[in-house]
Amino acid sequence: MKKYSFLIIIIALFVLGSSSAYAQDLSGKEIIREVNEILNQESGFTTTRMVIQTSSGQLRTFEFDSWAKDRGEKTLIRYTEPSRTRGQSILMLNNADDIWMYFPRTKRVRKLATHAKRQKMQGSDFSYEDMGSGDTFITDFDASRLEDEVTGEEACYMVRLDRAPSSDSSYLKIVMWIRKSDFFPLVIEYFEDDYPDIPSKILLMEDIRIIQKIPTAMKMTMKNELDLTETLMELIQVDYSLELSDEMFTERALRK
Amino acid sequence: MRNKIFILLSEWHSRHPLKMLCLIGILTICSLFLAARLEQSMGWSDLLPSDDPRTVEFDRVIRNFVSSSSVILVVQGKGQDIQEFAETLVPRIRELQDEEGKPYVQRINYKREVEFMRNNGLMMIKSDYLENISDIFQASNFPMLIRNLNNSLEKEYIGKEESLSTREKEDRAVNFLDGISFFLEALSKAVRDGRISEKLSREAVDRILVGEPYILSYDKQALIIDVVPNFTMVEMDRLVPGIGAIQKAVDITLTRFPGITAGLTGMPVIQHDEMIYTTKSLGYTSIIAIIAIFILLAFAFRMTVAPALAIANLVVGVIWAMGAAFLVVGNLNIMTSMTGVVLLGLGIDFSIHLISAFTEERCLGISIERSLLNSFTKCGNGIITGGFTTSAAFLTLSISSTRGMREMGIVMGCGLISVMIVTFLFLPSLLVLREKWLERKGQKQVSTITKSRDISLRPLGNFSSYLNLYPKRILVFVTLITTLLAYVGVKITFDQNYMNLEPKGLTSVELYDTILDKFDFSIDYSMFLADSLEESSFLAEKAKFLPSVAMVEDISLYIPSKEEQQKRINYVQEIIMEMKRSPPYGLKEPKDMESLVQELNRLKMNIMEMQDLAYLGGQDRVDAKCSEIVGYPDDPQEKNLFSSFFTDLKSDEAKGFQGLLDFERQFSPYFRDSVHKMGSGGTIGMTELPESILNRYSNIKRDRFLVTVYPIGDIWKDARFLNRFVDDLERVSHKATGMPPIFRALMKIMGKDGRNAVILTIFVVFILLWSDFRKVRYALIAMIPLATGLVWMVGIMYLLGMKLTVINIMVLPLILGIGIDDGVYVLHRWLMEGKRSLSQVFSSTGKAILLTSLTDMLAFGSLVFSIYRGFAGFGGAMFIGVATCFVTTVLILSPMLGIMSEHD
Repeated sequence: MKKYSFLIIIIALFVLGSSSAYAQDLSGKEIIREVNEILNQESGFTTTRMVIQTSSGQLRTFEFDSWAKDRGEKTLIRYTEPSRTRGQSILMLNNADDIWMYFPRTKRVRKLATHAKRQKMQGSDFSYEDMGSGDTFITDFDASRLEDEVTGEEACYMVRLDRAPSSDSSYLKIVMWIRKSDFFPLVIEYFEDDYPDIPSKILLMEDIRIIQKIPTAMKMTMKNELDLTETLMELIQVDYSLELSDEMFTERALRK
Repeated sequence: MRNKIFILLSEWHSRHPLKMLCLIGILTICSLFLAARLEQSMGWSDLLPSDDPRTVEFDRVIRNFVSSSSVILVVQGKGQDIQEFAETLVPRIRELQDEEGKPYVQRINYKREVEFMRNNGLMMIKSDYLENISDIFQASNFPMLIRNLNNSLEKEYIGKEESLSTREKEDRAVNFLDGISFFLEALSKAVRDGRISEKLSREAVDRILVGEPYILSYDKQALIIDVVPNFTMVEMDRLVPGIGAIQKAVDITLTRFPGITAGLTGMPVIQHDEMIYTTKSLGYTSIIAIIAIFILLAFAFRMTVAPALAIANLVVGVIWAMGAAFLVVGNLNIMTSMTGVVLLGLGIDFSIHLISAFTEERCLGISIERSLLNSFTKCGNGIITGGFTTSAAFLTLSISSTRGMREMGIVMGCGLISVMIVTFLFLPSLLVLREKWLERKGQKQVSTITKSRDISLRPLGNFSSYLNLYPKRILVFVTLITTLLAYVGVKITFDQNYMNLEPKGLTSVELYDTILDKFDFSIDYSMFLADSLEESSFLAEKAKFLPSVAMVEDISLYIPSKEEQQKRINYVQEIIMEMKRSPPYGLKEPKDMESLVQELNRLKMNIMEMQDLAYLGGQDRVDAKCSEIVGYPDDPQEKNLFSSFFTDLKSDEAKGFQGLLDFERQFSPYFRDSVHKMGSGGTIGMTELPESILNRYSNIKRDRFLVTVYPIGDIWKDARFLNRFVDDLERVSHKATGMPPIFRALMKIMGKDGRNAVILTIFVVFILLWSDFRKVRYALIAMIPLATGLVWMVGIMYLLGMKLTVINIMVLPLILGIGIDDGVYVLHRWLMEGKRSLSQVFSSTGKAILLTSLTDMLAFGSLVFSIYRGFAGFGGAMFIGVATCFVTTVLILSPMLGIMSEHD
């Protein structure tokens, strides 16, 4: 038994050593690809509770269902609470380049301006870009690895994403702290052109649970360092196993 | 050297007391003359270094623009009433004059530039926005007008408006809805009555094209009147009566409007209030201090004459100090204005020591001259060392870069030396004269009285002996307490809320919150002084998009760039052409109403969607305005403008048609004329602007331009926001000035100055003590209770929930100078009396330092009653500091000196 134990230790050390060597070898781009794999599932459904601060300083809570397809390239959001928002829907296509809104009171659909992507989504500190950005971490940014850090008690990779010249993202750069154990980002700092030296927004991912084998942050807090406000988003229900048809993500379906 | 001076002084006072008094009288009259010329300035910018860029820029702004000192009048009440109040009050304020007949007020802004807008309104709209809304101006007949409104609203969703800030968009939406709301009300009235007045028709046009003329809050329950005075906020001699006169005019007008409240605010008003309340506070707190000190001394000395002499000496000393203040700094600022009260507390100490010693000597039946000499020998050294040490501690503040701290150090240091000199030159003569008078009354009587008075404090001596029984235990106990208080003391925070320094319930301060609440911006604005029109436009454009900024005002609002004007002209020409093409009237027969009703239904849907978007986006003001027009979605049955209109129309269609026809006949020509006028002004340059606009944004020479930036939130309640706002401004330009940048700089510099001053004071005090005692050991021993007392003070302040402020932070270096006296006097007396006389030292000198501590505490403690909370906080902190220094002196020096006596 002693002999076997010794062997197990040797094997374990070898495995750990090799995984550590693997981790050391990973480039920023490879890490971000792993992150993207986790964040952008092929399809997904969530019920979310979001608390925003209104212009008069009051807190307002919304609940909405959202469906995402094609790794977040298409997103449909439908408000369920409070009652006066029930049925209002937002459809985002082409990584939020095209945004439509449906108003059940007038039964009309309106297309939002293209620059709306950069703007705050419905009074929150999340922008439409944050909500439906699909693979943009890979397509719109160049990743480079920074020195690893420990955030909280978690060993993290630190990766910096610089906006690619061809991108129309509103973020100049993004810095992520990514948990080494499962490539899940714990903190994301967003930098804008006007404030290249301080993060404009900081996203904190908390209460990370494994749902259908996929790590999922049940609580996300977006802190706006410029407006000094924050928006809390809590996931109430998550399902990655739904088969979603393309039909769901059309202007016609939006009215349903 | 000192002994020779003491001998000389005791001879002079004993032999020529009256001559001495005459000499002092002449010098006091001279000092009074100088002190009367001291001016007071309450500006916070006066506290920063004079070469600080913010101060330099602030002075430039003040010199160039009287409008930067404007007085804000906030009127609250019902919509129509507040407008009537404004119309009644404004002419009254315009007529206000000073004693020389010079008007107090240069101009009053309480309405938007309506006339200018009527002639150039279309050129005032940004090209991006104009592209979206140009439809609105292209037709004046009702069906087409409403259709164009709808087209423009639906275009809004896809328009490009990145050139507008979020706040601008929200304001624009509210103003737009305001116009629609007024138009719909007029429409309803026309339908209901079957006709409409020309006045209302024209007003409906103006509200759509020009907007609300008054500067009203979003809920229309508050109105702002901007009074630009003929004085700047640094001219205190004109500011105080000027603000008083405006306030009086407001009060008189208010009597005619029972439902209205109105008050003044803005930086000049705050400065006026600070001046009034600090003067008032210092006046009555000084009286409280003098009375309390008198009662204490009368109780301690068990007679009233000695305290009266001490206070007379003090009053003369303070007059000399104020005269010296005029010579060294010329005027008093918000910090040095407390000098009088501080000197009352500190200056009395010299008299107490001298009177204590003299009375003790006389009590032993020693002659007047000898008693005086013995008193000088016994406590003169302590007075001089203590006085110079404290003054030196104050004077070290002169290394500060902030003018406030530097001048406070100089004024208080020189002031204390003045009081000390007066104590040696004036008080002894008074004591001699009194004793001579008593002697003339009869030797026997004097002797009986004096011998019955043993004024030493034996219980304190006994307590010191008791402490000496367990010296090590006591020192361990003190160490434990000190560690505990140091642990909590480091947690003390800095309160950067400047409003917390102001008197509670002050109208001018409360109105800051009202404006923030009702108008959604703060009047703690910052400013840039631009050297050209282009720079003004550049700075304004950059500042507008800062997340911490609510709005920006500058001349480029009225003079856009040439390129921008060219773009606008193209749209304006198109609008005018389209307007000419469109038929003036769309309602000819009742069936024409169908298309109008259709378009009105479409408008209703557009506003409903706008309302839904506003609710999701948390834009409460837009949501509320939409709700007035289309009702709340949660209560579809609720009456709203659309439902009223449709109900009225249905009830009598013929009458309704007649009313609409009448309305359109009056509305349309005026609308067309107005649009034509608004678009026919051509390009705008400086020469096209009226004086009222030019004076607001440019100086008299028209070569400097003022850019005013209003923060979106309260800069005082959240330090993060103040930092964010100032950082944002400095990102735009390092020329930013005004209260927010100045106050933040002041906090930073004062923090640094305070730390440097504390270090230097400790060093200077140590050097002085070393040279006085001639032994490092004694110098250090005298300083241990002081250092411990300082730690205790901060710890207790934290436990009492107090915070450091820009005013009470001065306590840290000051207490080093004041608190050292206790240790110095005890150590001097201990060395003089012989090292085994601890009980005697604490009975006699202990009583004196107890008295001086109590008088200091009374003087500083009287400030706690100050209405001006900045002074109250300062007084409270000083009260604690003096008390802790006394307690630590007794608790530490008793066992320490006891141990040293045994070792020696």
